[in-house]
Amino acid sequence: VRNPLRSEAEAFRFLIVVLGGAIVIAAAAYVNRWLGLVAAVLVIAWLVRWVRGGGE
Amino acid sequence: MAAAHAEHLDHHGEHHGPPPPHYSSRVAPATLGMFLFIGSEIMLFGAFFTAYFFVRVANGTPWPTPPFELPIYVAFINTCILVTSSFTIHWSLQSIKKGNVWGLRAGLLLTFLMGLTFLISQVMEYLRIGFNTGDGAFPTIFFCLTGLHGAHVFVGLTILLFMTIRAFRGHFSAEHHHGVEIGGIYWHFVDVMWIVVYLTVYIL
Repeated sequence: VRNPLRSEAEAFRFLIVVLGGAIVIAAAAYVNRWLGLVAAVLVIAWLVRWVRGGGE
Repeated sequence: MAAAHAEHLDHHGEHHGPPPPHYSSRVAPATLGMFLFIGSEIMLFGAFFTAYFFVRVANGTPWPTPPFELPIYVAFINTCILVTSSFTIHWSLQSIKKGNVWGLRAGLLLTFLMGLTFLISQVMEYLRIGFNTGDGAFPTIFFCLTGLHGAHVFVGLTILLFMTIRAFRGHFSAEHHHGVEIGGIYWHFVDVMWIVVYLTVYIL
């Protein structure tokens, strides 16, 4: 498991990843609020996978 | 560790003062302390988000409840300011790692000013928003979530103020910049939390 706050550089990288996900969610929500919700679920699932896969 | 222990022994080999600390973790104590602090903060935010989801999903409260409206675009500008401040604090740490003290000072000062702008802008937003905590579940949760984050920005600004003062006093160098590293982790955490708050409260 990756610790996204292990160092300042890791925390900054995590912020960039979260920002990317947020842009996807905001763009989807702009089209339709429910589409934004679906995008949020997908982004969260991808983020969890990204954090869990960090140690491999 | 041996060197630290040797400092406590005089020339007769006798021990003076408290025993040297034993670190059982590979993580530095200050960093571990920040991890634990951030862990408790995540749980605190989790409690507030639970209240938000209960009000909105289980209770079915319209969001925002008419006739109230949320200032999405002002909050978007605020988001841009806060995210940019993460870039400047990252730049300040990269600068001091290369021995650039003025880069550190400029980066920290810019980060502090942007954080302060965010906080002042949020207070202005509260004054003009047109509803208060007594107007129902929606305003209550809105003020709780954004206010909790605002309190974290205030704590972050206090940390940043001390970091900036220390930077101008020359306390940091290319070899010794742990204080900037720890403060940077906290500031990025505060920014990540704002992105989550902005998405859930203003966008979705």
